[in-house]
Amino acid sequence: MTAVDWQNLVQGIPSLLRGLLVNLEILFGLIALGFAVGILIALIQVYSPRPLSALAVGYEWFFRGVPEMVLLMLIYFGLRQFRVGITPFIAAVIALGLRSSAYQSQIFRGAIQAVGRRQMMAALSVGMTRLQAIRHVILPQALRLSIPPWSNEFSSVLKDTTLASAIGVIEVFKKARFIMGRNYALALPIFMVVALFFLFLTYAGNWALGALERRYRIPGFEAKGAGERF
Amino acid sequence: MGRRILVLALPLFLLGLGAVGAEKYIVASDIPWAPFEWASPEGDYLGFDLDVMRCIAVLKGYAIEIRPVAFDSIIPAVVLGEVDIGASGFTITAKREEVVDFSNPYWLSNQAVLIRKDAAFKSLDDLFCCGHKIGAQRGTTGADWVQSNLVDKGVDVKLVLYETYPEAVLDLVNGRLDAVVQDEPASQQSISAYPELKVLDILETNEYFGFLVASGDPKGLLRKINDGMYELGLRYDLSLPAEGQWKVKFYIVPGSPWDYLVRAYFGPPLEKVEAAWKACIGTLYDKGRTPEERVYEFAKCLAEKASE
Repeated sequence: MTAVDWQNLVQGIPSLLRGLLVNLEILFGLIALGFAVGILIALIQVYSPRPLSALAVGYEWFFRGVPEMVLLMLIYFGLRQFRVGITPFIAAVIALGLRSSAYQSQIFRGAIQAVGRRQMMAALSVGMTRLQAIRHVILPQALRLSIPPWSNEFSSVLKDTTLASAIGVIEVFKKARFIMGRNYALALPIFMVVALFFLFLTYAGNWALGALERRYRIPGFEAKGAGERF
Repeated sequence: MGRRILVLALPLFLLGLGAVGAEKYIVASDIPWAPFEWASPEGDYLGFDLDVMRCIAVLKGYAIEIRPVAFDSIIPAVVLGEVDIGASGFTITAKREEVVDFSNPYWLSNQAVLIRKDAAFKSLDDLFCCGHKIGAQRGTTGADWVQSNLVDKGVDVKLVLYETYPEAVLDLVNGRLDAVVQDEPASQQSISAYPELKVLDILETNEYFGFLVASGDPKGLLRKINDGMYELGLRYDLSLPAEGQWKVKFYIVPGSPWDYLVRAYFGPPLEKVEAAWKACIGTLYDKGRTPEERVYEFAKCLAEKASE
């Protein structure tokens, strides 16, 4: 690399960071959407009567089965076809968020079922309604149990945010391609910088989730980690 | 009496205010394709097409937003009304004119065949055979040329399509391609970035570039763009050909903003242009002066600083 290449690389970093901010915005949007819808789908799958729970299973099957890229195109260009005004950013949050909701629903379903049916029966027997039992007994435990698998989903969707570039969101990956297009010699170094950004973010995110897990751990009720209970 | 005028004037005033606020058009451009459009390392969008768009917007009193869109998605985006103008070195072709409307032509380009200097090709005949791999950007006239003049006619070459032009050039440098077909100015830019490349030959395709808008020009933009190009200093010498293809000769008013923009963008290295652009762009939005002065000062400043 020549001095000019190094200079261009350094000049490009603020622009890349502004792009990364867009990825983080997508991330928070999609995680929030995926979390809310995911819990709803999980509760419906576990507690609802047949027709509704079958519908939830169908939803989960669809959004887990269709490739993310296809979902992005479906939502962005598909809605465009019907003249529904939607920005690439919102389309990315919706497409990736719904996809994540299907995965998150399975994390929460597993966690809810791990809490066990007998706790629900016990809660009902002391006079709680089903909703109260879910709110005060089941979810507090289920959410704790779901943190480890959820952190896996977090790492996965964090990286998926770069897919938004395919529908025209100007995020970090797209910015890196602009820089590569401006100076071909930066092809390798610029994507190494992007890789480092994501390595840092997955590390920081997983560390924070690990801290959350430790903070809310109830002795004796944690998920069975390696060497902890054996 | 005074009250009545006020009552009448108020809605008109508000209407005018609304129109001023609403007059913002989205310009779609495929970045990067230097020197017509690219992003500087700091992330500014610049290039000949984009600055022509900016200058016309200043002259005609509207605002623009530049949105990077992949080349083969620009026409669909214009058709769907997602963006208003396509400014990305678009060749005016009959096929494209079926779905969009073009401005007057603003540039004449030919296709260049780019190869590595160490390659053994002496002529196009050596290259266009034997299963050689030729790269081009998807949706461009360069790709079309290879498809219809070589592949469709059974010449033994393989056309490899890329989403962006620089990626094709990178594969040529890396030896994964034997040649790249692309417009001349962009090819010259690649050679200055990559001395190991050279132009094997020029394909005289005589392509005219135009800016494009949705079919029927629903927002009345073509008039503004055409007038704007004229005011910037682009003239035509219309001599209709005796036979065959119509041919337009461009004539640029010496010392006009158009002249300066051409001098700034076609010649100096990109980093010089970027530094000049950063130093000069402020003059284009200097509210203290008339639009004509601002455009002239900006273009002149850009040309002078870029060639210092």
